[in-house]
Amino acid sequence: MELEVENLSKVFINDNTVHTVLRDLSFSVQEGQFVTLLGPSGCGKTTLLTIIAGFQAASGGRILLNGRQVARPGPDRGFVFQNYALFPWMTVRDNILYPMKQQKVPAKEREQRLQELLFMAQLEGKEKLYPHQLSGGMKQRTAFIRALAGKPEVLLMDEPLGAVDFQMRQNLQEELESLWLKDKTTVIMVTHDVDEAIYLSDRVIVMSALEGKVLEDLPVKLPRPRNRKDREYIKTKEHLMDLLKIAVNKRPEPPEAQRELCLA
Amino acid sequence: MEPAGDKARIYNSRNARLIREKVMDSFGQKKILYRLITVAAVFGIWQLAANHYQSEFMMPSPLKTMITFTAVVHDADVIKNLLLTLRRVLTGFAYALMIGIPLGFLMGYSKAAMQLFDPLIDSLRQIPIMAWVPLTIVWFGLGDGPTVFLIAFTGTFPIVMNTIAGVQNISRDYYNAARSMGAKPWSIFAHIIVPASMPDILIGSRVAIGLGWMSVI
Ligand SMILES: Nc1ncnc2c1ncn2[C@@H]1O[C@H](COP(=O)(O)OP(=O)(O)OP(=O)(O)O)[C@@H](O)[C@H]1O
Ligand SMILES: [Mg+2]
Repeated sequence: MELEVENLSKVFINDNTVHTVLRDLSFSVQEGQFVTLLGPSGCGKTTLLTIIAGFQAASGGRILLNGRQVARPGPDRGFVFQNYALFPWMTVRDNILYPMKQQKVPAKEREQRLQELLFMAQLEGKEKLYPHQLSGGMKQRTAFIRALAGKPEVLLMDEPLGAVDFQMRQNLQEELESLWLKDKTTVIMVTHDVDEAIYLSDRVIVMSALEGKVLEDLPVKLPRPRNRKDREYIKTKEHLMDLLKIAVNKRPEPPEAQRELCLA
Repeated sequence: MEPAGDKARIYNSRNARLIREKVMDSFGQKKILYRLITVAAVFGIWQLAANHYQSEFMMPSPLKTMITFTAVVHDADVIKNLLLTLRRVLTGFAYALMIGIPLGFLMGYSKAAMQLFDPLIDSLRQIPIMAWVPLTIVWFGLGDGPTVFLIAFTGTFPIVMNTIAGVQNISRDYYNAARSMGAKPWSIFAHIIVPASMPDILIGSRVAIGLGWMSVI
């Protein structure tokens, strides 16, 4: 599996003002990597992730999955929403079976995969519950395995832990890591939490508030599970914090370049 | 409070899947109590009014009315007419559902359909219901037709409106989630749009049935 983002741009036009969110963004992600997109609020992380997912169109450039261009949503790219978007009218079981049914997986295989996933996420015995009867952590795990159920080539996650408090967040990061280690699907995750990025990722891509420019593409080589008190860990964290301070800066855009992109 | 408890439980069993029983139990009992107070108040005022007028014709007492009422419901003719009315209301309601729900889905989902039907529906809705009576008699004759038509007609609006609201309020995330799982349009309709808008459709239907009883002539 290889995912390539090629010269991607996105502009929004509101009341005759052009707003360039992403300009000429390129990077590629290899099989089995856990990649994090880190950047200040409003820098275009969600926009980028939803373009990769095919939920919205790019203004320029393209997304290639295994060399093939993708423009619409498809089961080859799983998505975990910030608020989980579990279907409240379906039980945990039906939520997880849904993607497999859409892909016409035979009933027996479906059942087997369901049990595997429930076991993996320690949700056995919860399959008859509805999403509103689950705790926050259980919802998160359900959303994660639902997105994995259709065996996507890459899993896209938009701040999957954004909705929980600090203490819970650290626990969930650990849970998420152990889940991921069992499955090793390629992941692209969005966050603005530096600690979360370092704890979970093989690679951190730092985006700037200015046109979503990539400020740094940083590999994280620390052994897993990571020790948050480790010296190297703390050093990396400080480095990224400094970088984020630069990333927030948003100089005014040159009007010339704007028009050019808009016409393209 | 024995029967009240029973009623609460019946009420509960309908909602059991969604609402935890304990919470509902106390709520249900309270609700029954409030209902009793309302009924008692109505009868009280009625009795006072009857005392004031002292006229069987203008304002019969509640007791007298109840006695006559029990006698009347044993009358075969009255029962026959009651059943006839019930049948008309249900038939009209069924038509309202058959027209209202698909139209609501269409208008909630497609902007083009919305722009096409909305002016029509909005103007039809303004016409006083009584203005239809002579026309419907011309169209359908004197049998069930006019009543069923009027019940269907008045019932369609709340069903359409609520179905539209139900469809429009569905979070984009649900559509996107389904599409990224490989769902085709038909599956999105059957497994996302229909269940997600069902609570609103039920509200619309409840209003429609209520209006249906009021349109009986
Ligand atoms: N549909 C839209 N129309 C106009 N502008 C938009 C639209 N969607 C996003 N934007 C703008 O694009 C920019 C990036 O938004 P995006 O949601 O991608 O940010 P983000 O990096 O995910 O931020 P956060 O960390 O707060 O979630 C913002 O300035 C936002 O106002
Ligand atoms: Mg975002």
